[in-house]
Amino acid sequence: MTQATRITWGVLAAVVLVVWPWLTDDRFLHHVGVLIMLTAIGASSLHLIIRTGHVSLCHAAFMAFGAYGSVLTVMSLGLPFPIGLLVGTGAAALLAATIGPIVLRLTGKYFVLITFLFGEVVRMAIVENVALTGGSNGIFNVPPPHPIFLDTRAYYYLALAFAVFAVGLCARILGSEFGRAMNAIRDGERLAECSGVPVIRFKVIVFIIACALAGMQGSLMAHYNKVLSPENFSGIISLNLVVMNVIGGMSSLWGALIGAVFMVMLPELLRGYVNIQHIIFGAILFATMAFMPGGIIEAARRVKALLSAKPDASAPPLARAGAAE
Amino acid sequence: MLEFLSRLEILLNPTVLGQVIVNGISLSAIYILVALGFTLLFGIMRVVNFAHGEFAMLGAFAFYHLTKDLNWPWMIALPAGVIGVAAASLVLEWLVFRWFYQRMFESMIGLLGLNMMLIYGGVLLWDTHERNIPAASQEVLMVGDIIIPIDRLIVVVIALAALSAFYLFIRHTRAGLAMRAAAQDVETAETQGVDTRYIYKVAFFVAILLAALAGSLWGQIYAVSPHLGERPLMMAFIVVILGGMGSIPGAALGGALLGFTESIVGTAFGAAASAFLSFGVVIVLLVFRPWGILGTPEN
Amino acid sequence: MQSRIWIEGAATREVQHMSFELMKSLRAGLIGGVVFAASSFAVLAQETLKIGGLGPLSGGGTSWGLAAQRGMDLAINDLNAAGGITAGGKTYKLELVFYDDLYSAQGGKAAAERLVHQDKIKYIVGPVGSPPALAAISVTNPAKVIALTNGYAPGVLKNDTPDPYNFRLYNTNLEFGPPIIKWIRESLKDIKKIGLLAPNDAVGQAVAKPLAEDYKKEGFEVILDFFERGTKEFTPLILRMMAQKVDAFEFDGNSPGDAGLMLKQIRQAGFRGKVFQVGGPAVDEIIEIAGPASEGFMTYDFVDWDMPKAKLLREAYQAKYGKGIISPFMPAFYHGVYLMAEAIKRADSIETDKVRSALENIDGFDIGIYGPVKWIGKETYGVNRQLMMQYFFSEVKGGKIVKIKKFTP
Repeated sequence: MTQATRITWGVLAAVVLVVWPWLTDDRFLHHVGVLIMLTAIGASSLHLIIRTGHVSLCHAAFMAFGAYGSVLTVMSLGLPFPIGLLVGTGAAALLAATIGPIVLRLTGKYFVLITFLFGEVVRMAIVENVALTGGSNGIFNVPPPHPIFLDTRAYYYLALAFAVFAVGLCARILGSEFGRAMNAIRDGERLAECSGVPVIRFKVIVFIIACALAGMQGSLMAHYNKVLSPENFSGIISLNLVVMNVIGGMSSLWGALIGAVFMVMLPELLRGYVNIQHIIFGAILFATMAFMPGGIIEAARRVKALLSAKPDASAPPLARAGAAE
Repeated sequence: MLEFLSRLEILLNPTVLGQVIVNGISLSAIYILVALGFTLLFGIMRVVNFAHGEFAMLGAFAFYHLTKDLNWPWMIALPAGVIGVAAASLVLEWLVFRWFYQRMFESMIGLLGLNMMLIYGGVLLWDTHERNIPAASQEVLMVGDIIIPIDRLIVVVIALAALSAFYLFIRHTRAGLAMRAAAQDVETAETQGVDTRYIYKVAFFVAILLAALAGSLWGQIYAVSPHLGERPLMMAFIVVILGGMGSIPGAALGGALLGFTESIVGTAFGAAASAFLSFGVVIVLLVFRPWGILGTPEN
Repeated sequence: MQSRIWIEGAATREVQHMSFELMKSLRAGLIGGVVFAASSFAVLAQETLKIGGLGPLSGGGTSWGLAAQRGMDLAINDLNAAGGITAGGKTYKLELVFYDDLYSAQGGKAAAERLVHQDKIKYIVGPVGSPPALAAISVTNPAKVIALTNGYAPGVLKNDTPDPYNFRLYNTNLEFGPPIIKWIRESLKDIKKIGLLAPNDAVGQAVAKPLAEDYKKEGFEVILDFFERGTKEFTPLILRMMAQKVDAFEFDGNSPGDAGLMLKQIRQAGFRGKVFQVGGPAVDEIIEIAGPASEGFMTYDFVDWDMPKAKLLREAYQAKYGKGIISPFMPAFYHGVYLMAEAIKRADSIETDKVRSALENIDGFDIGIYGPVKWIGKETYGVNRQLMMQYFFSEVKGGKIVKIKKFTP
């Protein structure tokens, strides 16, 4: 892709994202738009962690810190929303800075296990601590960031702005020297260490940034839903973020974004038939992992390679994609 | 500290202590049965079977239908149901599981998909309310001040028999030997003439057999519903991490530790304390010794 | 054997029905969801009035949501079979649109947004639980959509929403707790200390603390312990309470399956005293799980299956969904649809403002399941939006549930 076509596509996408809410008055579609934008923050920030070679199953715990931190600041201390958002994001970052150096020493399945358990402990702590968090019944009547944002369309633009910031930050990091060092870590940790990359410190920094973004999403989600309860931060939610990355494709940030869109839309498409919705969802998960572990991104690349009869189409799809970047 | 000791005082009461022990044994036995199959699949095929609990659920429903609808005596219904489920599951082995052998990460997510299909397929078929498998016996055994429900005792005896049979199988048969070899190093085992495809099938069959048995026993002392598998899976998962992934003695030790922790701490300090303690211990263990108590570190 | 064949038949039918409906919804979803601008395609047949339903159809609360869905489905079939409902000179056939609320705030909001803003539905029954109910009413009230919710949290009714459109569909333990506890103190005189075991989920936490307060007000001593939802082995907790010399156990806030298990384990642990629950009325399932151990168990109950209409409803349910256990949510949601239909008929309009005032004045309405109903709640919640219906305190005798005390609103 040349620079010019890239810019054209970028401008086109920006116009679509800004303009579409005015093409319909259906508030439900605006609502889906908000969900996609907010979910994209979580999915892309988790993608950062995945790119360092760790699959975290406690991303929702950081969302919880962001959400409760922000809501308690606004509701108990009576401070304005921007401060709440900062406190929530900061709380998530602080938690990440505390546990990151410990858990990031574990690799592979051990990291998956410990983050899963840690996420459960956070959820249980929220449930048990009724006086502070309202326990399982949560906190309700959460105020919106500003009365304007009671309108779903307005909230969409708020969510869009934060999503662009978060995804842009992730893309920036992945495209920088830093990102190349991350790839080196994932491909061979010992080798990276030998060539002078401070592996653990690197991973902790990425982890803190990603978890802070998750906290930001949690805060925005809570002030949008107006109700906050621990179910919204259970292991299933963390797992869904992993599934988004997996179904979209873990090799690029696009995978996380495609996965987020897919996972928000799918239940809506199947919502009428809830009783078999889960069976279909299960079948999709199985089939993706068994036959297409590279996710939608990889499938699209294969299809593209089949369609374009260019001579280089015979090269392995991943290698070609890497060369194009 | 005084508060802590006064709470432990409950355990000095012989009636309570007796029940705590019986209870600890029966919980441990069931956790071990589920965890053994889970760790076997992981050790040999590198498959993290997040659908393992659902085979316990299928075992429980098979037992339920055989006793309640066909009126089979439970001594026949139990083995028939368990073997039936394990045999029928070989179809799933062919359809689903074989794609995930030696693909750990893919297996986690893919089998989670199978897990959802089985649970919600079960909801369509059986509805969601809980059912009861008539207890083998309603009687209780009184030994001095200690009260032991007979049905718990039967569960413990059956589970212990199954565990011994499993031990003999793994230690003293050719298939068992081949399985242990494959668990250590698949490639070397293959070069030594072990037919891995066959061994995988045997291991799968045995793992599901144990899960289905655990489910039947679980259904007998608790209740049967399509969501039955969630709790045993969660417990098996913790047991296996505790003992060491892939380690068979580790699963036995982990199951016993967890079962007794739940029973003793739950009695003395309440449910929340018991849940936090088991999670906390496992987290600390993972930090300092991620390969578990009896596992071996991987390079 | 026969019942097995029946079960399979029912499941096949259900699956066929669902896959047909799935095609429909997929098509609708593809049009409405993927092409964002296409919502104007939603064309309503003139004589159809959609009624929305919300409840959990996945996860631990699935049985409640299924019961709600089936109750509403049966009510709509009955109303349509009787010719639909007439308002403003038009006759409407009713149609059910039921969505999963995932038993969470987020799920409740999403489902309500879709019912209200995409399906343009004005009448909703549900959700079942407090978190989704609180989230759903934040969507329905601003849109002037009438919602008959459940959810025990007082905040469902007691909040600062101006001019709300939501009502609560049946008694909560704030209403039936004190009278029953008073009766217990007067009738079961040797009970002094009560052990209360509840899950730490939304229902348990909302119910157990106020209930313990109610007991204390009547002079009882209460020991309260919460456990993690999903626990099946309660013996350690039971032993702990027995060691503290409780005279009776109380289970309110538990799912019926768990209550049945506790009952069985309490008797196996050698406890001989009274066991009861002031709340959680699904007695049939408790009896099924606890078996002979359920003898003497006492419970709050609000369905009288001997009422003429209730009998018919049970037969209709069993013909359609099999002879499994019937959750009390089923008749409650059946009743909810009838309440809504009656209010529409009386308002002679489908404008929600008119229907709401008709609904507010529905006191005395009786479809033959619950006796005459009545709105209360002014003192407790500040609004008269809490439906009261007759309720009972019942005891299990010879494996059957026997009503020992009737309370009328």
